[in-house]
Amino acid sequence: MGRLSLLFACLLMISALSLVTARFQSRQLFVQADRLEDKARELDTDWRRLQLERAELARNARIDATARKELEMVSATPDRTLYIKGQAPVAPVPGEGDRP
Amino acid sequence: MKRVRFYDSPVLNVQMPLWRSRLVLILLMLGFSALGVKALYLQGLSTEFLQQQGERRYERTLVLPATRGKIFDRSGSVVLASSVPARAIWAIPEDAKNASDAQLSRLGKLLGMSVKDIKSRLVDEDKNFVYIKRQVSVELADEIKHMKVPGFHQQAEMRRFYPEGDITAHVIGFTNIEDKGIEGVELAFNSELSGRPGSRRVIKDRLGRVVEDVQAIVPPVDGQDLMLSIDAGLQFDTFTALKKALEEHKAKAGAGIVIDVRTGEILALVNLPTYDPNDRDDRKGPALRNRAITDTFEPGSIMKPFTAALALDIKRITTSTLFDTGNGHYRYQGSTISDVSRNGMLNVAGILRRSSNIGMTMISERLTSQEMWNKFTELGFGRAPQANFPGVASGRLRPWERWRPIERATMAYGYGLSVSLLQMAHAYTAFARNGDMVSLTLLKREGKPTSVQVYTPQVTTQIRAMLEAAAGPDGAKLAQVQGYRVAGKSGTARQIVNGKYSTSLYRGSFVGFAPVSNPRIVVAITIDEPHSNGYYGGRVAAPVFADVVASSLRRLGVQPDAPIESLVAIGPNGEAPQ
Repeated sequence: MGRLSLLFACLLMISALSLVTARFQSRQLFVQADRLEDKARELDTDWRRLQLERAELARNARIDATARKELEMVSATPDRTLYIKGQAPVAPVPGEGDRP
Repeated sequence: MKRVRFYDSPVLNVQMPLWRSRLVLILLMLGFSALGVKALYLQGLSTEFLQQQGERRYERTLVLPATRGKIFDRSGSVVLASSVPARAIWAIPEDAKNASDAQLSRLGKLLGMSVKDIKSRLVDEDKNFVYIKRQVSVELADEIKHMKVPGFHQQAEMRRFYPEGDITAHVIGFTNIEDKGIEGVELAFNSELSGRPGSRRVIKDRLGRVVEDVQAIVPPVDGQDLMLSIDAGLQFDTFTALKKALEEHKAKAGAGIVIDVRTGEILALVNLPTYDPNDRDDRKGPALRNRAITDTFEPGSIMKPFTAALALDIKRITTSTLFDTGNGHYRYQGSTISDVSRNGMLNVAGILRRSSNIGMTMISERLTSQEMWNKFTELGFGRAPQANFPGVASGRLRPWERWRPIERATMAYGYGLSVSLLQMAHAYTAFARNGDMVSLTLLKREGKPTSVQVYTPQVTTQIRAMLEAAAGPDGAKLAQVQGYRVAGKSGTARQIVNGKYSTSLYRGSFVGFAPVSNPRIVVAITIDEPHSNGYYGGRVAAPVFADVVASSLRRLGVQPDAPIESLVAIGPNGEAPQ
């Protein structure tokens, strides 16, 4: 009887201690998860900003002006174009890999 | 002194009255029961209140903001609208009194405001929340935060950017400061674009850190991203061509639409004058009007092919029926209808090519008002097009019972009814396809479009040939494009000023499609009140049409269907040129 109660007392102690540690760990992990979520949000924002920046730089008006003025290019007209018959290769879809 | 032991002390022998001990006992009991009652009260009766008070001290509900969806063009790689975080700077006037002048002037410099301006916002000390400036970039806001100006605080918000600026302004529209769409696509698809904010209930510790979630998190649902049918490249080309024409002709306004014939997608939709949606001060006045969609006008000659096709369709005329348009003046129902030049005998193709009003009047004599009204209604005139866009105008087409006889004639050549440019372009898809009108969309189309048969394919083919001639060397030759066969009709309509047709204000339009052998795009251009270098549709709008068609077909990679003299050293079959 005495031994049994001693055993149970020990078990109780262990369980109590593990409860405390588990609780502590869960809090720590929670804080970490939180921080990572913040980070994810921050990265998403950065992605948005960069995407906007790229859009700003790749604006048609800007490209057109640069091509015409700085690089002195002209639009391709049909008489300067070589038309090749055949199956068009499957072009990589632009925009792929654009997802965050 | 005699020593007395404690228990022998005479004091102890004094008999106390019994009531005193009872009193103590009763008082103690009362005390205990008071405690018991209090405990019962706290634990049993006011638990809810106390728990609430406790929660209020350590629990917080955080709002998880949802981000508004982005808007892309049809390629999915060009961002037309996107939100990034920004901050609002606000202040409590009473606390802000302690801010030094040096701090305020530095703040003013950072925010681009004068110190006077900031101070004027802080005058009313009864208020405890005053916006100083909204939509401040995060970097700037961080810098301001480091200055630690007393009484100044910050609040997170979102700022919407439109990288393409004035080029797509009317299509995309813009949002107000609360991130709600108030124009264009931003308004039309506001519910799809705006997400649903989430919330989470958390316990915070002494330092304000989140320690744990109390309830399950309601995650925020970000707004959907939209993919429009607009092609950023075509949009830019149309914009440039239209802008050039507006400057050349000193016109008041202009609009252009490019529609993909096969899918009914609107590839470009341009309005001028325009505005910069990124600049809040610029967003006002008539520049906001999406003229192509919301403004209606009397179409004039661009209406003629529809009447001619109707007459051919119900076999009131054939392609060889001849009409004597005489010397250019024709008395009809008490009015004189006149042509620009004398044309003599014309068949229907000639009437369209020479754009003869008299010829159209003669065709209309063989039609009834009801037949015309039915066909025009079928073509979508007089009712709002099914384009998911705010403010689509339905135009005006009066019921046929109320047409006067002269009106049947004027309707035949495009006066007496009003349409929007979008309706016109939409109706022309019938000629560009096999007599069926495709349904329009501003979103990238997945799957097959629906279409309504309006004319028979045979009649469509005939009209297409006539329209090609009308845009040919004898017609609006400025509409011609190198390497491609184009078809279309120019129109010049007088503007109504104070209820009368003006003799100085016009609207030049051109609607057509290309390439004729297998049409890919319908292009509609209208130029409002051109003031210099001509005003005829064939003079002001046709060159824009040609520019737009040339660049659009090149961008779409459509092979030329007209013979061209190649300047390239190698022939198409790889052989050297002769």
